[in-house]
Amino acid sequence: MRNILNFILKYSRWFVFVIYASISIILLVVNKNYQQSIYLTSANVVTGSVYETWSAVTGYFHLKSINESLQARNAELQNEVLNLSSRLREYQAALSDTIPTPTGERFDYVAAGVVNNNTHHPLNYFTINRGARDGVATGMGVVDQNGVVGIVNVAGPKMARVISLLNEKQHFSVKIKGTTFVGSFWWKGGDPNIGYVEEIPRHATYQIGDTIVTSGYSTAFPEGIPVGVIVSKVNARDNSFFTFRIKLASDFRTINAVRVIKDIYKAEIDSLATHDINESK
Amino acid sequence: MNRSIFTNLAVALILILVQVLICNHIMLFNVAVAFVFIYVIVSMPMSMKVDWLLTIAFFMGLLVDMFSDTAGLNALACTVLAFVRRPVLFAYISKDDHTKAVTPTVRSLGFSVYAKYLFTLSLIYCALVFILEFFSYAAFREIAIMTGASSLFTFLTLLALDSLIVAKQ
Repeated sequence: MRNILNFILKYSRWFVFVIYASISIILLVVNKNYQQSIYLTSANVVTGSVYETWSAVTGYFHLKSINESLQARNAELQNEVLNLSSRLREYQAALSDTIPTPTGERFDYVAAGVVNNNTHHPLNYFTINRGARDGVATGMGVVDQNGVVGIVNVAGPKMARVISLLNEKQHFSVKIKGTTFVGSFWWKGGDPNIGYVEEIPRHATYQIGDTIVTSGYSTAFPEGIPVGVIVSKVNARDNSFFTFRIKLASDFRTINAVRVIKDIYKAEIDSLATHDINESK
Repeated sequence: MNRSIFTNLAVALILILVQVLICNHIMLFNVAVAFVFIYVIVSMPMSMKVDWLLTIAFFMGLLVDMFSDTAGLNALACTVLAFVRRPVLFAYISKDDHTKAVTPTVRSLGFSVYAKYLFTLSLIYCALVFILEFFSYAAFREIAIMTGASSLFTFLTLLALDSLIVAKQ
């Protein structure tokens, strides 16, 4: 017994090293999967408040360019409102005797600020200053004034960690604007302005410069939010699909003000999906 | 010449904050990141028990990981760094009563030995971080370029930091 104790004491550095190294390796492996405890992410209380304090200082840096793109977006929306209201008047005049269908809003938005952001890792995340208390939950889509920026991954009480579009494990459904040709968005690392859209059917018609938007096939994003613009076609291995290089709509190095999208029907749609799986079993 | 525990703690906290708030967001020419906070591990006196150094290194790495959403990555690299620090130093300088307890700085080791010690440790750290993080995502050549550029950048930053901190004492 004494010998064993002496042995352990004499080589304690090896034991300590092996213990810490194993804990790190376990964390590394667990981190590769998305599900993890909030304490080890940038959404925890300590890191969250440090980042929030710091962003109170650095938040002013890109205000000019953000302001410009907000102005542009505002003008665009104003035009759209004018267009739509004139069309609405036309329809109302033509169909004044039909019963209006109750539509109601399906999506709700929570405004948030980005307090920490990264673009040069293969798996990028950013942190926002809204959390579960504000209604933010895992799986919600996040957009800025230009388009899609990510999906909420871990939500703490006051902070949430968002999987950036610039994350090689993130795939989601997109389509060419104005068509029904659906594909899958993927960022392959490197340039934070360039992404890829794969699995667009071969018979799709497209032009360079066409906008890629969300397909609306998930509860994270409503249909038609811009993701990027087609720059070129990539020669794919598989001949039955197109792959496009796209320039992303948002500038990820300067994202600052974002909105989290709440789908009011999410619970219902998810329960239907699980219901379906259970039925087919 | 031994710094007190409080000075060390303050230096460690400041360097971790500088790392996560500034250095982590600067990637020079898209290849070079400076890991300034490893200065704490590199510059601890050699008289310190390795068990303690390992513990400090592990938790520092873990803290940086929390901030940068890379759980385990810096923790592992820091642990390895704390473990190989002694063998690396004694590969460049012979072990005697003075060097056994020396606090590694330019002044105590001389430029040539200190530079070799610092560069080797920077290289080990950067190689570990980039291999672990990019292994399944990037080509070997890219990882090699990032490792080389970052270890040079880290080395130069730490050298500057060392002259700054030592000059103040």
